Amino acid sequence: MNKKSIFFKDSAFKYLVGGSSLIVVAFFVMIFVMLAVRSYPSMANDPLMIFGSTWDVNSGLYGGIPAILGTLASSAIAVALAVPISLGMSVFFTEYAPRRVRAALSIVIDMLATIPSVIFGIWGLWIVAPLVKTYVQDPIVGSIGFIPLFSGPAYGLSLFLASLVLTFMIVPIISSLTISLLSTTPVELREAMISLGATRWEVVRHVALPFSKLGIFASIILALGRALGETMAVTMVIGNSFIWPFSSISLFSPASTITSKIASELYEAVDVLHVSSLVELGLILLVITLLVNSSARLVITRISRRNASG
Amino acid sequence: MATKLVTERLSAWFGKKQVLKDISIAFEERQVTALVGPSGCGKSTFIRCLNRMHELNPGARVEGKAFLDGIDIYGMDPMDVRRKIGMVFQKPNPFPNMSISDNVVAGIKLSGEKSKADLDAIVERTLKSVGLYDEVKDDLRRSGASLSGGQQQRLCIARALAMEPEVILMDEPTSALDPASTSRIEDLIRKLKSEITVIIITHNVGQAARISDKTAFLYLGELIEYNDTKEFFESPKSPITERYITGRFG
Ligand SMILES: Nc1ncnc2c1ncn2[C@@H]1O[C@H](COP(=O)(O)OP(=O)(O)OP(=O)(O)O)[C@@H](O)[C@H]1O
Ligand SMILES: [Mg+2]
Repeated sequence: MNKKSIFFKDSAFKYLVGGSSLIVVAFFVMIFVMLAVRSYPSMANDPLMIFGSTWDVNSGLYGGIPAILGTLASSAIAVALAVPISLGMSVFFTEYAPRRVRAALSIVIDMLATIPSVIFGIWGLWIVAPLVKTYVQDPIVGSIGFIPLFSGPAYGLSLFLASLVLTFMIVPIISSLTISLLSTTPVELREAMISLGATRWEVVRHVALPFSKLGIFASIILALGRALGETMAVTMVIGNSFIWPFSSISLFSPASTITSKIASELYEAVDVLHVSSLVELGLILLVITLLVNSSARLVITRISRRNASG
Repeated sequence: MATKLVTERLSAWFGKKQVLKDISIAFEERQVTALVGPSGCGKSTFIRCLNRMHELNPGARVEGKAFLDGIDIYGMDPMDVRRKIGMVFQKPNPFPNMSISDNVVAGIKLSGEKSKADLDAIVERTLKSVGLYDEVKDDLRRSGASLSGGQQQRLCIARALAMEPEVILMDEPTSALDPASTSRIEDLIRKLKSEITVIIITHNVGQAARISDKTAFLYLGELIEYNDTKEFFESPKSPITERYITGRFG
């Protein structure tokens, strides 16, 4: 091949990459502009109203804080539950489970990751909700219900249930990535640690986990993004009520998220202010996910730069 | 001279494939023994039987006996065996997520709490003994992976030495290194034997002649010849050995 054709291929490739990233950026800007334009009426009417605590369509009050907090709380609880479960599972699969079990389970985990969220919603509604009510909520409310965070009455649908369903949805995301990271830990590093007299667990702790930690962190952020934006399943099990967190701070109280709010109200909203307040909530959600992702990116580049320079 | 490490009819398998056949050998204490033989003859497998790393391969099996100071290695806790019998690998493998000093004490830290001062002393002493200290002392917090290949390998030797092993197994420790780094490590090995029993695999017959006291020749999983290095090279008993050392061999 002569120089010219290499150059041609190279620049053609450059244009291709440049062009397609331009399209992605343009698309993104378009969405942003659309949300901004559509939420303009509400911002113009009262820029601070979306940060109020009451959402009452009849009196024209559109305070979004309960939904925003509901989004943050349900996602945070889900991630807090999912991280230890996923890490424990991944370490067990890659390090301790017999080979055949390992292969079977990794297929199961990958399958879990593909279940449509509406199915998770139905499952949460019919199976998890009654179980959680009988075996978790009722006993807790009965024993330590005097603590506001756990107070009754325990409805079936609640912030806790939504968090739990979200947990099941993101465990496969974190686990399947973590499993592939752990299992690609270089053999020579594992052997180096083993040759120093390390136990299996010490190899995991000092070699496999540190080797995978950036990737695990990235998978957790990915999962957080999924939880923040998850709509269908959450809408089905959270109860869509604005009781939480101002009338009751209990995890067992029905609550709402930005997504559940939009999904359950947008199609029947007629008032311009109502519609644009919902869109403004959507804009806020987009900003939250952007912030989460870009700060994660920052952390990742920081850490990898530190590792590279030593 | 006392014997340190003895095997009796040691055999090893990968699944159904037998790669070591009835190897009986006695390694002398505080001597350097070189293991030579054509590629695939079982050298690595053999030394990995000595620190019980062979059994980590799925389907791997070992038969026969191995004794360290008369104690059955296969009756000991494998972690204990590996603390007493250190290993250096062909490819330098410092822990990339650890600093130079953390690499040195990675093994020590596993076996119990030590004060920072103790650890620092161990780092300095072992890095000095492998001749790395002066090169890295300005920044011991640097990642171990930031060193050159030869420095990394000396770091790995330091990491093994920090455990104060009685025996150290080296699997072609210089085959990935340049001549200058190789000769530094050869000097180091000669120095080590005042305290430690060294068993080293090498593909370089000249290296075996330069650094070892005794040489063992493995061929197709069998121990063909084992003798003082001088005798081994000057008057090989087996025609296969002679063909190997004169280079008329694959
Ligand atoms: N993980 C493994 N699974 C199956 N067979 C293996 C495995 N590792 C090595 N073998 C086989 O065992 C035999 C001995 O291998 P070993 O690595 O001990 O040879 P070696 O003498 O160290 O060779 P080299 O000089 O190339 O390092 C070879 O035939 C090899 O193909
Ligand atoms: Mg080998």
